[in-house]
Amino acid sequence: MGVVPTTTSSASVSSSAPSQRSLTLRKSLTALGFAVVMAICWRAAEVHPVELFSADTAAGLWKFLSGLFPPDLSASFLRTVLKATGQTLATAVAATILSIVMGLPLGILASATLWRRGILVEGARRGPGFFILSGLSSLTRALLGFIRAVPDILWAILFVTMVGLGSLAGTLALAVAYSGLVGRVYSDVFDTTDPRPLEALQSTGASRLQVFMRGVWPQALPNLIGYTLYSFECCVRAASVLGLVGAGGIGYEIGISMRLFEYGQGLTLILAFIGLLVLIDVASRRLRALSNRGAAKPRVGRRSQLRWILLTLAVVAGAGASFYFSGFTPEVFEENNVLKHATHFIGGMFPLEMGLGFISKLSGLLLQTFAIAFLGTLIGVCFGSVIALPATASLIFLEPDSTGHHGIAERSLRWLGFWVARLILNLLRAIPELLWVLVCILAIGIGPFAGTIAIGLHTAGALGKLYAEAMEEVPRRPIEALYAVGARPLQVFFRGIWPQAKPILRNYTLLRWESNLRVSTILGLVGGGGLGQAIYNNIQLGFYDRVATMILLIYALVVASDWFGHRLRASDMKNYMTLPPA
Amino acid sequence: MTYSVESVTKFYRQGHARVRALNGINLKFAPGEHVALLGHSGAGKSTLFRLLNATIRPSGGAVLFEGCDVGGMSGAEVRGMRRRIGTIYQQHNLVPSLTALENTLCGGLGRWSLAHTIRGIFRPHKSDMEKALNALESVGLADKRQARADELSGGQQQRVAIARALMQDPEVILADEPVASLDPGLADEIISLLTRLAAGSRRTLVISLHTVGIALERFPRAVSLRLGSVEFDGPSSEVHGERLRNLYAGGNLVSEQPTHGSGSHNNFKRIS
Ligand SMILES: Nc1ncnc2c1ncn2[C@@H]1O[C@H](COP(=O)(O)OP(=O)(O)OP(=O)(O)O)[C@@H](O)[C@H]1O
Ligand SMILES: [Mg+2]
Repeated sequence: MGVVPTTTSSASVSSSAPSQRSLTLRKSLTALGFAVVMAICWRAAEVHPVELFSADTAAGLWKFLSGLFPPDLSASFLRTVLKATGQTLATAVAATILSIVMGLPLGILASATLWRRGILVEGARRGPGFFILSGLSSLTRALLGFIRAVPDILWAILFVTMVGLGSLAGTLALAVAYSGLVGRVYSDVFDTTDPRPLEALQSTGASRLQVFMRGVWPQALPNLIGYTLYSFECCVRAASVLGLVGAGGIGYEIGISMRLFEYGQGLTLILAFIGLLVLIDVASRRLRALSNRGAAKPRVGRRSQLRWILLTLAVVAGAGASFYFSGFTPEVFEENNVLKHATHFIGGMFPLEMGLGFISKLSGLLLQTFAIAFLGTLIGVCFGSVIALPATASLIFLEPDSTGHHGIAERSLRWLGFWVARLILNLLRAIPELLWVLVCILAIGIGPFAGTIAIGLHTAGALGKLYAEAMEEVPRRPIEALYAVGARPLQVFFRGIWPQAKPILRNYTLLRWESNLRVSTILGLVGGGGLGQAIYNNIQLGFYDRVATMILLIYALVVASDWFGHRLRASDMKNYMTLPPA
Repeated sequence: MTYSVESVTKFYRQGHARVRALNGINLKFAPGEHVALLGHSGAGKSTLFRLLNATIRPSGGAVLFEGCDVGGMSGAEVRGMRRRIGTIYQQHNLVPSLTALENTLCGGLGRWSLAHTIRGIFRPHKSDMEKALNALESVGLADKRQARADELSGGQQQRVAIARALMQDPEVILADEPVASLDPGLADEIISLLTRLAAGSRRTLVISLHTVGIALERFPRAVSLRLGSVEFDGPSSEVHGERLRNLYAGGNLVSEQPTHGSGSHNNFKRIS
């Protein structure tokens, strides 16, 4: 840390002339390739910049923006909002509990340390028992990978088809999607525990499960709690969005109000959504602090034992209520004939549709999906970095103890610019891509262009915030030195901040690109083009075999992009040691 | 109960290379015997211990426990055998986030059913509790029973590991450099503790040490390993003069052997 990394390019500049020529050649080839990709994506994503400035767009946007105000705060609607918010929260809680119940055993089974390699299995006889267990463990890991690769909203639409509209579908979808995530992360946490105490435990004659309970689990617990809280936060976010495809909760109400052009109601719902997120954020921060304190002193007195019992009762009651409100009522299962629908749906998926005509149509859709992600990321990078500059405190404000100061007018102007930029970034980021799609549709109509813009807006917020934070966290010394010699802010940026922050920004951008590729596969479920649109249509038409093929395609896409991203970042890691947060 | 290794060889795979850690070793331990294992770093002491408690499998030859080939045992039989052998490692014996008492209780795992284990996590059985407290008492750590293992000093951790072995109540105690990370005074204390506890109930004790003086003084039989082979096996009183000097003279030979051992397997810490 603190050292400006030497990049490979600066190393080759200093070498002989021919290599410099080949470098220029490579640079121009890269530029050419980029232009070609741009052109192809431009066409595939049906980009029409002119449309953005047409009268229709302006009218649509104006109608939307003016419709937002005032937000609908009538008592009857507030009751609806409250119910929807409660349902979303209940869905998230129930889904998190279910995902732990399913993910934990899967995670234990998928753990390599316990069943496949390392000191715990070195001494095992390589008999059928060992091969069955290690095979099962590998299979489980692959299954978790598959569950994880299919986006949660896709699970939602599959469950909506199986069990009908409503929050039950959402809960089941999130439970499945997050069990993949939870299982995978748990097994990774298990695999990173210190193996030496495990070896010692095994040598006492403990069985594998006993070693797990007394050796792996206590070591892993703090990480498991931290990750589970994080996954719950993500689950709340997801639960709010899933409703857009009919899975109940806030999203469902937002979808309805948009369709009825009741934008005032939409704004109220979005405010409720943001309020819920803030609430969850505060709650989980307190829980985290609590669990840290709990770990510090494990002893329990009599008084606090009573408190624990009360707490447990409250948790159980809360969980029960969550299940009830998230749609797990006995009637649902009787009325909807869930099992029959589900078998019909799953039966319809096989055999997969592999006809040549369909496959060739798929490749066109795949290109479109890729194009949406590519251009969307590009838009996000451009806007994000522009807004990030005024949102970077170290560029805008002087150090409190530095020499020289701004006048009062300039200071308040800078202050205003900073907070407006932060506000815009947070707003762009807080609203999920799928909601942005709905807004974009209002302005420019259904299609891949709307999806592209939606991704661009959300990415601008997400990346802009990360960019600003990364630039603020750059080591201070070189920057102070530059200010000391009288450099202006822009000079400080190019000479002090940019070179230091570049690798981190690059990593953030790559990660965001990967996640955008995932998202672009499902934007179509609400009208944003790409593969999702085809999935939606085929589900409506009952061509489940085609749906199954497309899900497999998404899986392949995600695996491939993970692999590339991993390799890109791995080669980066050789030069830099900074890892972005997950 | 007899315990022996017969022409045991062990190769480790490292990438494409094969590292030979043990090279046709023959050893026999009589019940109740106290043996000191000597040898330079990388001689194969830890490997031998891991073979003896069936943590790893020999590449050739056999480990015999009461005449049974350990390699042919089923999983349950191996666990049954491990239960009768207590192992103390150089470091990192304990689960850091459990208390000293909980770590000690773990010595009983081999005897417990899964249900008993789960119940024991929340409310240990009374007789288990008594045993564990007795074990902690006999290593002088009764007052530290509620301290987390990672809050204990190195010597205290080693004593908890011994308490766990006592809780396990094994017929054989294997101790792989149990004092290598401790200061000399403490080392002496721990070795006395081990020999006393082993002698009290006629347990076999095999211990590897880098402090030759203590080893020869306290243990009637010495075995020295060198580059994976037994160099000397006999009464400690016969180790003197030339032999004593040879014991560690080969220490530098380690570099002739591929020494890319990783982490804990290849530590060069030594008490002089
Ligand atoms: N897991 C392993 N993988 C590969 N090689 C190993 C492994 N464990 C040990 N070795 C190698 O086997 C040889 C013997 O190692 P071992 O740990 O048994 O020596 P040791 O006598 O215990 O040494 P020390 O006194 O340093 O603990 C060494 O050359 C070591 O590098
Ligand atoms: Mg060793």
